[in-house]
Amino acid sequence: MSLKSSPPECRPNRRDALAALVIAAAALVIALSFYYDNAPAGSASVQVSVSVGGRVEDFSSLSRYAGVHTYSCNGYTLTVSCDGAEVQVVSSTCPGQDCVHTGAVSKAGQSIVCLPARIVIRLTGGAADLTVG
Amino acid sequence: MRRFWALVLPCLLLLLPGCGAAAPEELTLFAMDTYMSFTAYGGGAKDALEEAAQRVNALEQLFSRTREDSDVSRLNREGGASLHPETAELLALSLSCAEATGGAFDVTVAPLVSLWNVTGDTPRVPSREEIDALLPLVGAAHLHLDGTSASLDEGCAVDLGGIAKGYASDQVAAIFAARGIRSGAVSLGGNVYVCGTRPDGTPWRVAVQDPQGEGYACILSLQDTFAVTSGAYQRNFTAPDGTVYHHILDPVTGAPAQSDLLSVTVLGASGSVADAYSTALFVMGQRQAEAFWRAQGGFSLVLITADGRVRCTPDLSEQLTLSEDTSYVLEIISP
Amino acid sequence: MGRYSVKQLALWAVLAALALGLSTLDGMLPLSALLPLPGVKLGLANIVTLFALYVSGAPAALAILAVRCVLGAVFAGNASALLFSLLGGFCAMGAMILARRFGGLSVFGVSLCGAAAHNVGQIAAAMIVLGDTAVVGYLPFLLLLSLVTGSLTGLIVSRLLRAAVYLPLS
Repeated sequence: MSLKSSPPECRPNRRDALAALVIAAAALVIALSFYYDNAPAGSASVQVSVSVGGRVEDFSSLSRYAGVHTYSCNGYTLTVSCDGAEVQVVSSTCPGQDCVHTGAVSKAGQSIVCLPARIVIRLTGGAADLTVG
Repeated sequence: MRRFWALVLPCLLLLLPGCGAAAPEELTLFAMDTYMSFTAYGGGAKDALEEAAQRVNALEQLFSRTREDSDVSRLNREGGASLHPETAELLALSLSCAEATGGAFDVTVAPLVSLWNVTGDTPRVPSREEIDALLPLVGAAHLHLDGTSASLDEGCAVDLGGIAKGYASDQVAAIFAARGIRSGAVSLGGNVYVCGTRPDGTPWRVAVQDPQGEGYACILSLQDTFAVTSGAYQRNFTAPDGTVYHHILDPVTGAPAQSDLLSVTVLGASGSVADAYSTALFVMGQRQAEAFWRAQGGFSLVLITADGRVRCTPDLSEQLTLSEDTSYVLEIISP
Repeated sequence: MGRYSVKQLALWAVLAALALGLSTLDGMLPLSALLPLPGVKLGLANIVTLFALYVSGAPAALAILAVRCVLGAVFAGNASALLFSLLGGFCAMGAMILARRFGGLSVFGVSLCGAAAHNVGQIAAAMIVLGDTAVVGYLPFLLLLSLVTGSLTGLIVSRLLRAAVYLPLS
């Protein structure tokens, strides 16, 4: 028992710094790959997809989504409003109210998450990858 | 230092799912009388695309009606021929599609295709007599297939234009699968195959061409699917009297199909079948096409009607979003 | 029970209790003001996991971790909290064991790897709960945060380890 035979190295060394760099780089790369591709591309339309409990319940363009929508899952109910340009959760019966505090989202790549209700509102966008026809 | 990388590399792999495949491999070529583009991500993508391009070129050598030495040309010229196994396979598939669609898709429509020559240099409107003279030559019963040898009745011919690109996309999909490609997208002149998802894990976004304009009518979120559209807008010519004639011939009337549909998009697990069905369903028109889908199943459908409606099968309702720039109305086809 | 001394068992029990306390404290921090994902924690309890790993070895550290996660879920009374702490905790544990064995890292580096893996695990848990990949967008932010928590944890544990030499454990 006692301490392991090789006493632990308690001083930070160069490899520690490398590990920190790798983590920071990973954060950067994930951020770029996640947000870069979804950057709004000119006049291309933005789509809203609402997944409730892992199932996509609504999928439409932002302008056609305009109006008030309610979603219920896990015993909680969210009221979502959209003016055709922005989407926000205006009220929720969930305990933390994080989804309401997130505020309005309007750009492709942004999302509103309500974990207790298992609801994700995600904006995707940009042009299509390819055309059939 | 090697030990350090033994630690860091697995960490990177854990932390960066999908990011290692950031740069796409792309390849374009002109084959089967159309423009083709191939995109694939990940290890082996370059090799997979090169193999796919070679494969498509090889298939064109077999299926082309304009190449003198192709299997199809030999069969049409000599009335009987021993075929490459793939040509025989595609002819067999064509026959089963003809049977399934009640003849709305039919490769023996070739004599009429030549008569109208819509896609050729000198299209013209033939007389009723000319058409009636050729109509008896159309029908799957005129094509006899026995293993890899085929024969045609006197005066008959086959044209694989309505299924060859779909078949080629099936072959490309097989190459992608064999090479372990998990993210890729292929368009063979509008015949689309999407492999897996986009590199970021989200579905591929495939636009359906607006048959009445430059833009698109709707966008579909798709993964691991073939998608083929047939529409009157794709290839046509204007006669001296101003009438527009398109390239999708109705095997029953021998003339361009009088459809209440502007375009039909078929999505499914087989590119060949999707290609053949999209043609057949366009010929059938809305009511019959929807009845065919209910009876047959196994594929998804987006119909764009002449009166401005986009009608999709229920399974697509969560994957389809209409374009904002058009006035189409979305409807779900009742199952 | 011949394999373990009473002193060892007592130490592990104390560590488990301490881990449970830290993880409860962690849950009270207003992290959700920065990040709208309830259930995601900084990972303060990793201090105990890391300390146990160095002092008592991997098996004991794993046992302490398991006790902490299960009891924590019982006290919190919900299953998704268990998923968050299990995935976060075991990802951190696994990363720290590997980092310590193969990385040639000091306790600081091991701690950084653990903190980063902890956050990856928590995002994975959120993905499972939601059935959606949108939460990956929070990962870069959490990873940067893990540099801070990881360094802090490393600092605390390095001090603890110097003091632990005097623990009457043999």
